Amino acid sequence: MSVKVRFFARFRELLGTDIMTEPGAGTTLTALVSGIAQKNREGYDAIFDEHGSFREFVILMRNGKRVETTEAGKTAVADGDEIAVFPPVAGG
Amino acid sequence: MLSERERERYKRQILLFGEEGQERLKQSHIFIAGAGGLGSPIAIYLAVAGVGTITIVDMDVVDQSNLNRQILHSDRDIGKKKTVSALEKLREYNSDITVNAVDTTITAENIRELVGRADGIVDAMDNYPVRYLLNSVAVEKKIPFFHGAIHGFYGQATTILPGKTPCLECIFPKAPPKEVFPVVGATPGVIGTVQATEVIKYLTGQGSLLEGRLLIWDGLSSTSEEIAVCRNPACPACGAGPAGNHECQSTFFCPLP
Repeated sequence: MSVKVRFFARFRELLGTDIMTEPGAGTTLTALVSGIAQKNREGYDAIFDEHGSFREFVILMRNGKRVETTEAGKTAVADGDEIAVFPPVAGG
Repeated sequence: MLSERERERYKRQILLFGEEGQERLKQSHIFIAGAGGLGSPIAIYLAVAGVGTITIVDMDVVDQSNLNRQILHSDRDIGKKKTVSALEKLREYNSDITVNAVDTTITAENIRELVGRADGIVDAMDNYPVRYLLNSVAVEKKIPFFHGAIHGFYGQATTILPGKTPCLECIFPKAPPKEVFPVVGATPGVIGTVQATEVIKYLTGQGSLLEGRLLIWDGLSSTSEEIAVCRNPACPACGAGPAGNHECQSTFFCPLP
């Protein structure tokens, strides 16, 4: 199956965007995104904590719908999914 | 009533929303939280547009490292209170309006009184704890909250209408960490002018606001995108209120049309 991953803002700088992947059946959102993020240590650390969980402020969307990051480890991706990973910014 | 001078001064925007719109701006009071990177363009554009009363709050002193982005302040202001410098500049820009510049830290204790009877709150803060305070007071007073935030070349903005749109805590239940954020001044320029435009549209009843939409600006690739955002019925800040978007209640973020 084919799943597209889009990173935004700083995540995009570190990891690129519009990444096409071919995950195996049963791959979870967490496994998919962390697999891609592994290619850049800084990118990985920006998104995941030391336990391999999504940092709590990260916004994760699947086909335009918010997925709670705490549910991402239990949510399997499906063919044709588009996953978006977005870091809210804080400065002013 | 607009004076002859005001009619002339605002001639080019009266073409957009009429004397009636201009009169509405004149009768309005906007509260701007922060006189920094975002607060500068927001305050300047609202002042020159003729928003009748502007309250701007900041507790800081102008530092040399602020000057790459905080265009209310310049070299001669280093060491001055930002409120002093902001008041001077805004008076120079438009002496027909009233500016209240308040030198204080916004806290849970003073925020209600600071906002007073303002018609809207503009977010020009650099941290989420104070943003959440502003958000909850906007929800409580049922006045709009114009959110903006930036980092480097990136920015985001949305307009919160209590009871109708998701509030800030629906959209961002967890704050990103506070940091010394990199920034080039043009980025708060982009986002701050988006916020100022939203305020002017809201006050004059023009166009479509960023209601239930989070605008994401990527200045590095010069692209903007938007994410549809929905109310969280369990939101601690606004969840108990009557729902505005019933169809969106199954999720915080709803599919793009």
